[in-house]
Amino acid sequence: MLFNLKKHWILMLVAMMLVFGAFGCGEDAAPPADEDPADENGEAPAEFEGEVLIGIMVPTTGSEAADGTDMENAALLAVDEINAAGGVMGHRLVTTTGDDGCDPSMATAAASQLVSEEVVALVGGYCSGATLPTLAIYGEAGIPFVIAASNATTLIDENPGWGFMINSTGLDQAATAVEHFESLGVETIGVIDSGDAYSADLKEQTIIQWEEAGYEIVADDTVQRGEVDFSAFVTTIMSVQPDGIYWTGYQAEGALLIRQLREGGYEGVIVVGDGSSAQELIDLAGPAAEGVYCTGPPLTDFLPAAQSFIEGYEASFPREPGAYAALMYDATNLLADAMERAGSFDSAAIRDALEATDGFEGLAGPISFTPENTLARSNFVVLVAEDGRWALVE
Amino acid sequence: MALHEVLLQQLFNGLLIGSFYGLVAIGYSMVYGIIKLLNFAHGDIYMIGAFSGLVFLFIASPYIGAGWPALILGLLISMLLVGLLGVLIQRVAYRPMLKAPRLSILITALAVSMILYNTVMLLSAGRYRAFTVDISTESFFIGALRLTETRVVLIVAAFSLMFIMHMFITRTMYGKAMRAISLDRDTCQLMGIDVYKIIALTFFVGSALAAAAGIMAGVYYGTIHFYMGFLIGLKAFTAAVIGGIGIIPGAMLGGILLGLLEAFGTQIPFIGTVWKDVFSFAFLILFLIFKPNGLLGRSESERM
Repeated sequence: MLFNLKKHWILMLVAMMLVFGAFGCGEDAAPPADEDPADENGEAPAEFEGEVLIGIMVPTTGSEAADGTDMENAALLAVDEINAAGGVMGHRLVTTTGDDGCDPSMATAAASQLVSEEVVALVGGYCSGATLPTLAIYGEAGIPFVIAASNATTLIDENPGWGFMINSTGLDQAATAVEHFESLGVETIGVIDSGDAYSADLKEQTIIQWEEAGYEIVADDTVQRGEVDFSAFVTTIMSVQPDGIYWTGYQAEGALLIRQLREGGYEGVIVVGDGSSAQELIDLAGPAAEGVYCTGPPLTDFLPAAQSFIEGYEASFPREPGAYAALMYDATNLLADAMERAGSFDSAAIRDALEATDGFEGLAGPISFTPENTLARSNFVVLVAEDGRWALVE
Repeated sequence: MALHEVLLQQLFNGLLIGSFYGLVAIGYSMVYGIIKLLNFAHGDIYMIGAFSGLVFLFIASPYIGAGWPALILGLLISMLLVGLLGVLIQRVAYRPMLKAPRLSILITALAVSMILYNTVMLLSAGRYRAFTVDISTESFFIGALRLTETRVVLIVAAFSLMFIMHMFITRTMYGKAMRAISLDRDTCQLMGIDVYKIIALTFFVGSALAAAAGIMAGVYYGTIHFYMGFLIGLKAFTAAVIGGIGIIPGAMLGGILLGLLEAFGTQIPFIGTVWKDVFSFAFLILFLIFKPNGLLGRSESERM
């Protein structure tokens, strides 16, 4: 037997480790080509007076890694462009990324790490549940945080004034969902969330607004993140037969829910929230996704202003920009703009400049803030899955 | 749907989920029976099985499609490969620890689990992967019971595997040797049984069954990811304990019972889907208080 030779398998093990080790390095070295100052100085001798460190906080691992990585890439792209144009007030922008893993405890650790690295400001924020505990940390440290995607209304209450939300909040989204159900003639709906701050909040807002509009909620359920089996919910749905279903969680579970609902024989309207707006939802759910609606943010693909951004993104990264890439790009540019307007890299001055933002032209439309530091207008749209892609519902 | 129709549908759902739990639980139970190890890496073996099935389909589907023939071939090849992986893990990580204290080998098992799922996390970029198969999802009715071709095939396949397993354990010399080793390893060695070979075989069979369950779950749910083995590992462990750990028919029975409990538990008002796991683990605690040896366990029994 092979294993009688003791040395053989030890050698095999060592070889395996080497292979995996090399693989790991390859992955790490690939994306941030922009973080090495030598590159830039060699090619275009831009005379930078100094460097400014900004933090990126997104989930780069875990179930939301796809969106998180898209967002990180979008920020890196924006930073590259800003630096190529001479940086901010003669200073080169440098980034450091904290992985919040879409998990409150991981986010807390990532936030503390970013604070200790002495970033002057931050962009990012995808899962509201993960963003929530970091608001106090950044507030205490006095670091402004441009929140690109997270939009649970609970964030508004917990915001000590240093967070700026450039995505419309759950209140706006619930209104969009209710209007869309109404326009389809739906009278009874079932709602289901995935138990985290973001999806529970959106579900609650939808229930309140739906009942205010005079309609009925006939099923209300919650699943855990990572749940794969929705058969109990499907059975309940089939017994009460609502006209529509609103899923407020993320795409990984959402795709499974859609498949199981359709396989279980449900033929009504299915609408998903913006947490499920990534292309991945359609890829994972397959043909079952056809005709599913989504109340989503202005997806990168549908923004006329985003065409050059998409080209730039695809030239820099071997993938398509995901749902929130445009918002992240806006967040990064807004931050650079605020630094210019503040005329300093002092965190407090940047915060004041962000607060004073008046109609900053982002890819997703003009940005101004309410007194609560939320976006002053609704930016939600309704999408429908057609031929395996999201299309805008006019 | 009337209440009895809901219950009938949930009965079927419970049996299907339960049979997945049962297949994974068998591996837990066998390994515990033979070397008294709670193999916490077993859930990850299930996950590796799902991914190897996915890789097989990715390579093979341009030639043979992704219908039932490709799936059955993929299932068999994955069972073989993952079975061998189980043997390799056993040889590298567990065999040197057999004479060490039980706690050391338990920690080794946790380490193996982390190595497995972190490796797959890196290789799959931490993303969910669509397990795309070319099988009709049209549903049909038997009475009030809504079924799909997939569900019927999966449940038949799972129960057939369990039956074959039962036959293997009770009717073959190898099965007899496994049962004997679980009773008294040293005596078996004195009687000329190649104990290490039988332990390796146990890992092979257990891992192959877990791989089969992983692929079936992939087909059933349509998406897989690197962390899918964690919860089912716990559930299968629960199933093995409910059935009486170390006893093969107990593992199958425990799995099915747990599946049914979850399916019906979620239909109780105010429990709902979110409390599903709380419900089943609470049941485990209660069950252990009143029947610490499990359903089929006797305090002085042959553990296999």
